[in-house]
Amino acid sequence: MSTASAAYLARRAAQKERVRILYRRALKDTLNWAVHRHLFYQDASNLREKFDANKDVEDINIIDKLIADGEASYNKWRHPDPYIVPWAPGGTKFTRNPTPPSGIEIIYNYGREDND
Amino acid sequence: MAAAAAARATVLKHLRVAVAGGSLHGGQRGFPWLLANSLRRFSEEVRGSFLDKSEVTDRVVSVVKNFQKVDPSKVTPEAHFQNDLGLDSLDTVEVVIALEEEFGFEIPDNEADKITNIKMAVDFIASHPQAK
Repeated sequence: MSTASAAYLARRAAQKERVRILYRRALKDTLNWAVHRHLFYQDASNLREKFDANKDVEDINIIDKLIADGEASYNKWRHPDPYIVPWAPGGTKFTRNPTPPSGIEIIYNYGREDND
Repeated sequence: MAAAAAARATVLKHLRVAVAGGSLHGGQRGFPWLLANSLRRFSEEVRGSFLDKSEVTDRVVSVVKNFQKVDPSKVTPEAHFQNDLGLDSLDTVEVVIALEEEFGFEIPDNEADKITNIKMAVDFIASHPQAK
């Protein structure tokens, strides 16, 4: 089973990256659902145990299937209104007040204009 | 669009600083709270709003020390999460999320994968304009 060919290692590395990204998104989703911190800690440890239970699986196809199952359940449980940091893309402050283009300035002559 | 957001955030940070130092704009028409002219000036300085590197290092080290699976005495500014501190790859993900929460900003998923030691985390945070 430990055929150290480059294709096998590349596939394993890609799988590890998928697992990391999946864990990251699932943890943030858990925080979105369980807003109170004590509930979040409980749910986060449950999630961690789910990931740890499959930690030692060696067969690469089973790993692929497990990752696909995990991603499917993540997609099923995604929060409709996730917390996004305000100035990140998708947040509320994103491009809210862009800097004015250079060379433009406001002329402060309110009340002193000559037009009617 | 991200550049506009970054420039805007730097401007907002400078607005915070400029209120305290209002005497800089002595030549304006007595409107110290209208910084439209200085908006034009500050949008060219992109350096000043990033966090100080030593302060970032201190905060990152304290966050990692508060982590339950980490031995606090082993945490140095040069520590590698998996090699030195004995953390799992999932633990690395948790540490990165904790750093995001501490500094209040968002790391994209592909960048978050690459942060594997404290030094890279400090570099990333110090070069990010929206880190508080």
